[in-house]
Amino acid sequence: MSEPVLKAPITINWALNNSCNFSCRHCYSRVDNGDELDGATLKECLTRCAKAGVMAVNFGGGEPLLRSDILEIARHAADAGFRVSMNSNGYLIDPRKAAELKAAGFAKIGISIDSHIPEVHDKFRGVAGSHIKALAALDNLSNTGIKTSISTVICTFNFDTIDDLILMAKAHGASQLNFHNFKCSGLGMANKDELDLAPEQWKNFYREAMQRKVATKDLDISLDDPIIASLGMRDETAMVKGSVCGKLSLNIKSNGDITPCGFIPAVIGNIVKDDLKEVWRNSQVLDKLRNKTPQGKCASCSDYADCLGGCSARALAMTGDFNNPDPHCWVE
Amino acid sequence: MKRIVRNPDVLWREEDDAMEEAARLLEQGEDAAEIGTAILFADGTMVTLNLLGTEIWKRCEGRSEEEIIAELLDEFDVELDILKNDVSAFLDELAGKRYISYV
Repeated sequence: MSEPVLKAPITINWALNNSCNFSCRHCYSRVDNGDELDGATLKECLTRCAKAGVMAVNFGGGEPLLRSDILEIARHAADAGFRVSMNSNGYLIDPRKAAELKAAGFAKIGISIDSHIPEVHDKFRGVAGSHIKALAALDNLSNTGIKTSISTVICTFNFDTIDDLILMAKAHGASQLNFHNFKCSGLGMANKDELDLAPEQWKNFYREAMQRKVATKDLDISLDDPIIASLGMRDETAMVKGSVCGKLSLNIKSNGDITPCGFIPAVIGNIVKDDLKEVWRNSQVLDKLRNKTPQGKCASCSDYADCLGGCSARALAMTGDFNNPDPHCWVE
Repeated sequence: MKRIVRNPDVLWREEDDAMEEAARLLEQGEDAAEIGTAILFADGTMVTLNLLGTEIWKRCEGRSEEEIIAELLDEFDVELDILKNDVSAFLDELAGKRYISYV
């Protein structure tokens, strides 16, 4: 059956703010300005997105819990029909806040944790005691019935700790463990030499991670990197070939600017001023992302039809053209 | 008689343009089975449904398989045995993905 031409994104990743109580060394949003939409404007935009057919909204930031009206905004989104989720560092989620988040309609909350070792996580996140609070957040959220996930950005200090991360996720009731590929955006670009893996290391990491994914039945291990197609171990749950950005999802920055994803700085509209469906249907940037032209080694690669050049954001950041091969790709 | 209920975690919507295209093909007597007219989405997985799948899914809320078949038989120009097989196979697939369950 043919894939439908979607009338609107399935999900929107929506940065509510840029303020943050952490100083993570790979953060993509430290380079953004502090402009934020006010609550009334946000709610109006959410209502319009729901009417356009968007089904899920995932709030992020910055740290979204630093917005004083986060509960009100989430309630509005849930009442509009969205499945509401959020990514947080977990620092502010005590039992009372967890109960408030549940009452506000959150279905799922992802907590960022970069290591099973507290000292490593705390150093990377720049806040002492953040690891223990992140784990407590998972427990507090689970106790209210909110589904939880752990988001781990794979980099040089955690790529060889897959089993430890899995054990940690299981011990704290997470339903999903997301291994995110390292993006060279914002501080991620500034610190890439220290944090990013070499292509061969990525290859070995994904081989091992895919084996664990298959063998682990009581935890969903998610790998969001299209370059794994070349291992012949493609994630069968992947919804589209290549990056999902601009095909299933869009990103909205705290000032309302619309971008294909949080790591691609191309502004294709503004949610306050522009019609979402119009942007979704007619953006030339989205059209190019959905119809990439293989360059360099991709042009002769037998796996291109499945991976579509890998992560478009990474290729753009490192080469200036998202049609170029993903710099993480290990295929010669 | 077992009744079918949707998994509340499954999000779904019809795709307007594709629905119009499928309706246009059917009006012209052409096959619309390859047109994806609705999507189901849950926990990072997505399923695309054709027109018949969409009509089955829309009825997967409290009805039995037999009731769904009877309703579709009234609506579609199709032989009963073929419809039974199609509905049964489709519901098995949805149940396998935990998009529906039986109560």
